[in-house]
Amino acid sequence: MLDPVSLAALVAALALVLYALFGGADFGGGIWTALAFGPRAREQREALFNAIGPVWETNHVWLIFVVVTLFTAFPAGFAALFIALMTPLVVALVGINFRGAAYAFRHYGRSSGRELPFTARIFEIASILTPFALGMAVSATAAGSITIDNDVVATGTAVWLNPFTLMGGVIGLCICAYLAPVYMTVRVKGALQEDFRNASIAAGVVLGVTTAVMIPLALQTAPEFSHRLLGSWPMLCVGLAVLAGVATQLALLLRHYRFAQLMTGATVVFTLAGFAAALHPDLIIQEMPLRSAAAPRTTLIAYLTVLPIGAAILVPSLWFLYWTFRGEPASELPPAGKEP
Amino acid sequence: MDKLVAARALMGVSFVFHIIYATLGIGLPFLLMLAEGLALKTGDESWHRIARRWVLPAGVVFAIGAVSGTILSFELGLLWPRFMAFSGAMIGLAFSMEGFAFFTEAIFLSLYFYGERRLSRRGLFLCTIPLTLAAAISAIFVISANGWMNSPSGFRMVNGTPSDVLPLRAFANEAWPHEALHGTLAAYVATSFAVAGYYAALILKGRDTVEGKKALALSLAVAAVIAPLMLVTGDWAADSVAKYQKAKLAAMEAHFKTSAAAPLVIGGWPDPETRQVLYAVRIPKLLSLLAQDDPNAVVQGLDAFPQGTTPDPRLVHPFFDLMVGSFFIMTIGLGWFWWLHWRRKAVPDQPRLLKYLIFASPFGIIALESGWLVTEFGRQPWVVQGYLRTSQSVTPNSGMVAVFTTFVIVYLCLTAGMLKLLLRHRGRYEAGGKEVGHA
Repeated sequence: MLDPVSLAALVAALALVLYALFGGADFGGGIWTALAFGPRAREQREALFNAIGPVWETNHVWLIFVVVTLFTAFPAGFAALFIALMTPLVVALVGINFRGAAYAFRHYGRSSGRELPFTARIFEIASILTPFALGMAVSATAAGSITIDNDVVATGTAVWLNPFTLMGGVIGLCICAYLAPVYMTVRVKGALQEDFRNASIAAGVVLGVTTAVMIPLALQTAPEFSHRLLGSWPMLCVGLAVLAGVATQLALLLRHYRFAQLMTGATVVFTLAGFAAALHPDLIIQEMPLRSAAAPRTTLIAYLTVLPIGAAILVPSLWFLYWTFRGEPASELPPAGKEP
Repeated sequence: MDKLVAARALMGVSFVFHIIYATLGIGLPFLLMLAEGLALKTGDESWHRIARRWVLPAGVVFAIGAVSGTILSFELGLLWPRFMAFSGAMIGLAFSMEGFAFFTEAIFLSLYFYGERRLSRRGLFLCTIPLTLAAAISAIFVISANGWMNSPSGFRMVNGTPSDVLPLRAFANEAWPHEALHGTLAAYVATSFAVAGYYAALILKGRDTVEGKKALALSLAVAAVIAPLMLVTGDWAADSVAKYQKAKLAAMEAHFKTSAAAPLVIGGWPDPETRQVLYAVRIPKLLSLLAQDDPNAVVQGLDAFPQGTTPDPRLVHPFFDLMVGSFFIMTIGLGWFWWLHWRRKAVPDQPRLLKYLIFASPFGIIALESGWLVTEFGRQPWVVQGYLRTSQSVTPNSGMVAVFTTFVIVYLCLTAGMLKLLLRHRGRYEAGGKEVGHA
């Protein structure tokens, strides 16, 4: 069953899931910096900001991994997607840049909080803009609005801007906003932990409502996708995502934060797995099957051979990184030129 | 501005921007590793303080390098989707392997930067080793993709589409070894000179003279070891270009007419109308000697190739001279510094030498940028030499001028923000003499 094309597609989907889990939480940190609330708003921002510090660059390498997997294993599909989705991808890219730069400037300028209001504002806006644009781009592959006629890929606004992709953008945002505070409940204590717990519960409700609204909308605007998602085994992913979401809310209510963190991750994994399963065996729904988007077999095999070698170096290194920076987030960077 | 020009300009601007950060991202880890290693070996803590002082610039540089690298990976699809559809299966492997190396680099950089309070000193030093290796390896891997564009291999054209793809053969193409080696070593020299310039300025102002001199000597020692290798790999690169990319060689040397006993043309302005190089210095027979190891050999000129298939020497020859010239500017600084050092048995701090080192400090980056421009302009009008023209690979999307404008604004903002940050920080540092720790 697992020929090189399906395996490579699985790798692409896995990379997307990892980007959503790590990069998503990172964007979520930015979203909650904007939404910080109550008497401890400043402390919330500090904690989010410090938690992102040591890991933000690696979190975003997953996106490069997605892009590289696409153009190595599915070059024809990569070309078609980047022609059709130019606008949202440019928007996402501008957002990624301003976010990364604002973060670095704010961080190395060592002015957390809002001592640099302009930079802080850019960081927040970019944290919202980017996942929204990426959510639009990803959902467009399932919307049925990308058409390819005799190798000519349709361009224009309608391809990426329609109710289905708009809702896809909103869900992208909600996923990010949902991941970050749940992760934070494990990292902080006391009143701040309560704040993040409340934020998590609210975000969970919003994510639940938006995905529920998406179903009737999808039935109307993306019939093929919703038919595949709800009509067959991908439905199992939907069910598991709902269960994991409910379990997260219960765990948060009962203050079982580690379990809540696990279940949040599971919610996102199953949501995206359902999306990918419904898209399968296409890369662009009804227009480009994975098979015709794929690189020659030799390339796929070379790529799939390199993968475990890379993973053998990466996985322990990543584990060491997250292990080293576990626990209470602290402003770790000593000032440059510090005397001991 | 038409679509192709806008797309090429954007790609060019993106690379010129990214290369600065990528270069420092390869070179700084190496210097960090040496300094941390020296601190452990000699027990001299000032080496550790020197290394930690590079954390701020290195962190900013790496962050900007990562985001500008993300722009580039997207631009491959946004600007050149047809190039990627054609060659993704061949060059993708290089990018994937680079991805892993880059990922490793990001991980150990974070560990080194943020780990001061969570890792032992030995642990910090050990992090700089995979960091340095991964940085160099990522450059070596990704340059394979550029090498493939210059000397495409590992496939066969069947009815206008590549087939019988051999990805490893494509990865290990003819241009890769010399491009990778020359380019990666250039990053070390360029970083060393940038760092040397910074310390020369500090010493000149009478600040930090003790640690500054150590750092200056370290960076110029690295440059002194690697500069001769630049000459060797440069010669190897020229040999390979003479063999596999004859049109590029002709454009580099502004060699219009195929001739025996060809002179080496230095400087001047090539005029394609008259096929003359104005105001140039010519050294008889040297081009034939360099290209073919025979002073009387015939060297193909631009006229040996069909019209419309060769690069414009006006875009290649001056940058080639700039690259070589930059190398000599740096060599003079190195010779001067180490001569005085040897004479005085101490790090020299003669103001004239320090001023010269400040003047020479950007020329490593300038050499790298111009060398890259020679490679890229020298391949035009092809994006994949001999197979795919740049004009055939541009996106069908309109609105490229708007995209170009958007990203130029992005780059201007990034540059302005970074300069403001680094200068403000330096101002604070200099005003206080020494910076105090923060909470």
